[in-house]
Amino acid sequence: MQHLNEEQLVAHYYHDDDAPATAESHLGECTECRLQYETIRRVLTLVTDAPMPERGEHYADEVWTRLRWKLGARKRRMRWTSFVAAAAVLAIAFFAGQWWNSRGAQAPSPVSEIASTKPVRGQAGAPVLHGNDRVLLVVVSDHLESSERMLAELANANPKETFELSSDRAADLVASNRMYRQTAATRGDQRIESLLSDLEPILAELAHAGKTLSPDELASIQKRIESKQLLFKVRIVSAQTGSGGDKPVPAHSNSL
Amino acid sequence: MEVTDVAALSRAREGDPDAFRLLVERHSRVIFRVAYRMTGNEHDADDVVQETFLRAYRQLDAFEERANFSTWLHRIAVNCALDLLRARGRHDKHRAGMTSGEGDEEHEREIASSDPQPDRLLLSAELQQHVAAAMEKLSGNERTAFILRHFEGMPVEEIGQTLGIQVNAAKHTIFRAVRKLREALEPLVRPNPCST
Repeated sequence: MQHLNEEQLVAHYYHDDDAPATAESHLGECTECRLQYETIRRVLTLVTDAPMPERGEHYADEVWTRLRWKLGARKRRMRWTSFVAAAAVLAIAFFAGQWWNSRGAQAPSPVSEIASTKPVRGQAGAPVLHGNDRVLLVVVSDHLESSERMLAELANANPKETFELSSDRAADLVASNRMYRQTAATRGDQRIESLLSDLEPILAELAHAGKTLSPDELASIQKRIESKQLLFKVRIVSAQTGSGGDKPVPAHSNSL
Repeated sequence: MEVTDVAALSRAREGDPDAFRLLVERHSRVIFRVAYRMTGNEHDADDVVQETFLRAYRQLDAFEERANFSTWLHRIAVNCALDLLRARGRHDKHRAGMTSGEGDEEHEREIASSDPQPDRLLLSAELQQHVAAAMEKLSGNERTAFILRHFEGMPVEEIGQTLGIQVNAAKHTIFRAVRKLREALEPLVRPNPCST
């Protein structure tokens, strides 16, 4: 009688054998092979019974929440084209602003005359944005929203745990931030320039931090975000740009 | 009508984040199971799940639509798990232990050599430790092939694709894994002669 070897027994256990009926028949007749097969079955049952930690029904949501901020890599290939596009938008915005101003200078309206001497106040007594401010705010809107998300993620992270970081994403934000800050400086928009100047060192530090922040590093960053009220400031300007810049700016945002 | 994996993947390629989210929702639990079996650690398994989907997203363009998305994702997960184990030195350590003798046949049988008596091993926690130790003695390919076949019920053909090896080689890898597990764990399942 031809016995089944160990490999054939394992293949039979997993139904991967070529002639399962023959093997089954042999196992019915051969005590030696049946004992071998039974031992394999017991060992594999023991392995099967090893516990598996359960994940909650919202596990996929948790994975996605942590993951979605890191999914910038597909856009990264477009980094330089994005910069070119952003620069083009800025250039168009700059010349559109110049044209708008020169047109306003030729035929000054009562409102622009007031605007040139003192800020216009909205209903709440806050300044209303016009012309160049609005153009610049619109083009930095995306950048501020992305920065806000990253700051919020950091601010809300558990300081006792290692924080996983997308340094590529931070590097993109640093490059954009630098460009927008310089543009704001050129245009004399001190409010945005000041905000972006506060933001840049944090972003630069994140860009060079590697893939993770230790609890100490995270606590330090959180402290700096908190001390400069950075998240709050970014949210204020981001909300303002998101609404097209026509809404009154809260009075305390003048300190930006 | 339910969106297929390939359709969702195609939309994800076009930049639709909701489509990729759908794939995460469908596959994250399975990937966690595989990752946990591979690493033996919940935290590591969570890391592997994250890294798997991150790599998958970055390699979306490399996926061939005629292939099986699940198999492709498993392959990424397995590689992530092996990378993690390698990075932490465990994998090399265990492999070094296994290959320090005269090959697979001769590797040290730490568990078996301790001659545990069944009556000493009634505590399930102790059994679990033995199973975990036996699993860790498998090579990367063996562990992967065994986990995919035994726990996930993946066909041998797909295991071959996942590991990048022929079907027969995949089948033999599973066999080697079972043989090693048997060598390590057989003393624990051997019927007690006193009880008969």
